Amino acid sequence: MSDFLQAGQITEATQGLERLRANMRVTIKGKDEVVEQVLVCLVAGGHLLIEDLPGVGKTTLAYSLARSMDCVFSRVQFTSDLLPSDVTGVAIYDETIKEFVFKKGPVFANVVLADEINRATPKTQSALLEVMDRARVTVDGEAHAVGSPFMVFATQNPVDYEGTFPLPESQMDRFLMRLQMGYPQAVDELEILRTQRGGYDAIALNPVVTRSEVVKLQALAHGVFVEESVLDYVLKIVTATRTESEFRAGVSVRGGLALRTAAQARALVKGRDFVLPEDVAELVTAVLAHRLGLARQTSDALEERRAVGAVLKRIVAAIPTPA
Amino acid sequence: MSARGERGPATSAGPTVIARRAQLTQEELHQVKWMLGGVLTLLAVWTVFYMDVAAWSLMVATTLTTGAALVWPRLPARVPALAHTLAFPVIVALFAGDLWLTSEVLPAMVRLGMLLLLYRGISYRQRRDDLQVIVLGLFLIVVAGVLTASLLFALQILIYTGCTLGFLLVITLTESLEGGQKPGPHKAGDLPTWAAHADWGRLFRRLREVSDWRVVTLGAVLFAGVLAVSALLFLAIPRFQLENSLFLDRYVSKKARSGFNDSIKFGDVSEIIQDTSVALTVDVSDRSQVPVAPYWRMVVLDEYRDGTFRFSAGLKREALGKDRTDTALRGEARPRMGAAVFWTFYLESGVSRYLPLLGEFERLQFREPQNFQLAAELNVVALRNEPVSMTAYRVEGLDTSGIVRDPAFARRWQERDPAVAPKAVMQHRVGVGDSERTRLEQIVAEIAMGGPGLAADEFTRRTEEWLRKNHAYSLSPRVPGGEGDPLVRWLVSHEAGHCELFAGSFVLLARTAGFPARVVTGFRGGTWNGFSNNFTIRNSDAHAWAEIFDESTGAWLRGDALGVAVADQTSEAQREAALVRRMDRSWSARFDSLRVFWYRRIVNFDQRSQVETLRAVKTATQNSGKRLREAVERLGADLKAWLSAPWDGVRVIKSFAAVVLMGGMTWWWIAVGRGLVRGRWLWCGGRRSDPVRLLAGRWLGAMAGYRLASGESRELREVVAELQRVRFGPRETWPEPEGVFRRARRVLREVRRQRRAAG
Repeated sequence: MSDFLQAGQITEATQGLERLRANMRVTIKGKDEVVEQVLVCLVAGGHLLIEDLPGVGKTTLAYSLARSMDCVFSRVQFTSDLLPSDVTGVAIYDETIKEFVFKKGPVFANVVLADEINRATPKTQSALLEVMDRARVTVDGEAHAVGSPFMVFATQNPVDYEGTFPLPESQMDRFLMRLQMGYPQAVDELEILRTQRGGYDAIALNPVVTRSEVVKLQALAHGVFVEESVLDYVLKIVTATRTESEFRAGVSVRGGLALRTAAQARALVKGRDFVLPEDVAELVTAVLAHRLGLARQTSDALEERRAVGAVLKRIVAAIPTPA
Repeated sequence: MSARGERGPATSAGPTVIARRAQLTQEELHQVKWMLGGVLTLLAVWTVFYMDVAAWSLMVATTLTTGAALVWPRLPARVPALAHTLAFPVIVALFAGDLWLTSEVLPAMVRLGMLLLLYRGISYRQRRDDLQVIVLGLFLIVVAGVLTASLLFALQILIYTGCTLGFLLVITLTESLEGGQKPGPHKAGDLPTWAAHADWGRLFRRLREVSDWRVVTLGAVLFAGVLAVSALLFLAIPRFQLENSLFLDRYVSKKARSGFNDSIKFGDVSEIIQDTSVALTVDVSDRSQVPVAPYWRMVVLDEYRDGTFRFSAGLKREALGKDRTDTALRGEARPRMGAAVFWTFYLESGVSRYLPLLGEFERLQFREPQNFQLAAELNVVALRNEPVSMTAYRVEGLDTSGIVRDPAFARRWQERDPAVAPKAVMQHRVGVGDSERTRLEQIVAEIAMGGPGLAADEFTRRTEEWLRKNHAYSLSPRVPGGEGDPLVRWLVSHEAGHCELFAGSFVLLARTAGFPARVVTGFRGGTWNGFSNNFTIRNSDAHAWAEIFDESTGAWLRGDALGVAVADQTSEAQREAALVRRMDRSWSARFDSLRVFWYRRIVNFDQRSQVETLRAVKTATQNSGKRLREAVERLGADLKAWLSAPWDGVRVIKSFAAVVLMGGMTWWWIAVGRGLVRGRWLWCGGRRSDPVRLLAGRWLGAMAGYRLASGESRELREVVAELQRVRFGPRETWPEPEGVFRRARRVLREVRRQRRAAG
């Protein structure tokens, strides 16, 4: 990677990200770390899976992000009778022009909130595969590009099993990160109780970055320098997940790439044009945990998530950081 | 090797990378601790091999259980809780019972130590228990070491020390990782997570991964340093015989295997076991003095009664002088012309209390005072007790002719009253019944072939020949059954026999013929170690032969039907040829040479050789310093001469050119070369070995602790950011590395100063 970033580009990016961060903090209180991770995911051009209980601010988070960057936001509530065409769009016959016209679905937006994604049937979930991977929808052999930037915020409740269809591994692999929101601190919740009126529609945020600026940020992230020893560090972590007996299978190549890209994005979010090992180490759980399953049976999904997290922490602690 | 806990929560934005070195997790440290504890236990219990303490079954049990617990660390969880509850009362009761039954403290303590180790080996250990393993192991190893003082012991204590150091390091690391928190008492039956996850293959891979060669090298250098200091101390401190001052000599396991005793019984002849372990090592200052077939005399057996040859009480009383305690003794040999030849004998423990000698000697010196008895006329030296460790003694003026002069006996023999049976002179009593005596006389007549006045040497020759003709040599002899004396039964048969039978028969025949004769036991032959140039005599070289008194010369001649005639030994060329024939260059000789090195340099250290060694070390050091000083002085003188030589144009130009060249090379190095080496490091072919990045990484590591502790001053943050850029950033954007390092040095110094000031 010889084409390094210019100092001016970094400053510009840092300023833009700072504006975004400040804007989101207006509505998302006490969740700076989550906001930071969301920004990393955005800059990396990835999609986000948020697992948490209803009502902790998942939609607000997605909406705030969309509003802050002057983007089209759409929300799809996934249910078991939701059809793929309900998500991607459908071609209907237009009597006036005597031909089929493609009617765009809700994915044709910049920030798509796929609420309770595990309630839809696998067929509908798979409808998201192409659009998440290639940012386009193909209907009747015709490709339709979705918005740019394009980011899917999927949410799911890991505790409820009734009437759900767990996401297939291929789908999981397409999410860059998986996050938990968690309850806010008492002092932040008090602030929310004091200030918040109405639902997310009532959120009035001024856009602080343009769509093109976001696209530029994403392009910039790919230019962030990764030193060989840091790449080696990523490789060691990925390899360790493959040799770890606790896991059913290790992380895919896509997972390794995701970790590298996310680390690059984090470096940019932190205002650097090069990746530090800590960028990698900090993101391991968020980027890799949802791609891994335990070899043994666990009592429930939460237990499995905790166990996977613990093993990943052990792996990271065990691998020497490049010094 | 180093370790750190899990990372703390992410700190606020800003450069907070913490350079972490290779790490082992807490679980892995516990696994390493378990492994090292097991190894220490095994090393300690194996010392039973050296000791004559009835603890073999315990050793086997501990080895098996500890080994099993090592391989399967989950096993101790299956030990029922009741066993843990009962363990200590049972062990204490066993110890008390042991003491009461055997009333021997040391063996009971050894067994107690092993029992405790056995228990520790099969239960999950806390820190206190780990330390107990070290102390118990040390006790066993030191006891065994004091008893043997052998090369193997040195090796064992070396390995044990290394393992213990590693063990203590791991204990400390585990402690620091647990943040000083005392873990609750381990409940019986609970499986610790580290044991549940134990996978030795993975652990070894991890150990290899996390090993920091710098730390390992440093550790090895430190260990070598400790060894060197210990060796120097060892050279300097006065030597003393440790076991003499303790009560341990009864517990040494190595007992005589060559069968040297004060008697030989022929009735129950058993097969001689071929024990090839080394019995005696002999260093000789002049190898041309080594006889073709050396006979290392030890015991003289004069009395024959009831089928047994023994060292008679009368002769013991008469010949063996009083108990003496001294470092040296004078022998019967007269000083001879020419350079003195020194023979240094290293007699292994458990061989005999009689010291092997080739013949008469002028002077015999021990390395420290010994209790001994000297039988000058028999040429036998006996220590009061069988030595429990290797005994070294140096002999001067050793007579290698094989002829033992005995003027006292000659006088007694001449003054004897032929009419009275010479009771006092056991060497003349045949000691068999009348009928057997008749058989013996018949054989003697056959040997003498009618000539009654046969000389001793001629009789010897003929008897040897007769015995060789009638009996074959075998290590598994057979004595025909029947009534009467067993030796005579064998003699009149045609059965094969071993050296004792041959020697005994010879003596009986000689005595029947009227010659005083006796059996002598010791060693014959040996091999010449080609590596360390010394004689090595093994237990399998043990031999018995006869000595017959020659009235004409007043000396005892050797009679050995299985040996080489004395006359053959005179030529020096023959001796050398024999030595070459005996040359041993096998692998065992190589190993033995190590032992000889150990004896020569470490064990056999009398005051003189100790002083010599110290002097040699001092001289070597002084010489090195002197040579260095001389070299510097020579260089100075050369430079002075060169400067004071007349200067002409050519010299000036040459000198100027040299200065310019050197200046140019220095400039090139500063401007380009250093950059090339640091910046590209092409010939090492890799970014990992990029020295600038590595240096920046080291600076980051040095600053890691201060950044968290001192609340990150602005300057510190800036310099860390610069260092991070140099370490991980694109080269094109680097600030000037030298400047960054200088700044880092200054900031670090400043932070340290502030921290000291803050206390």
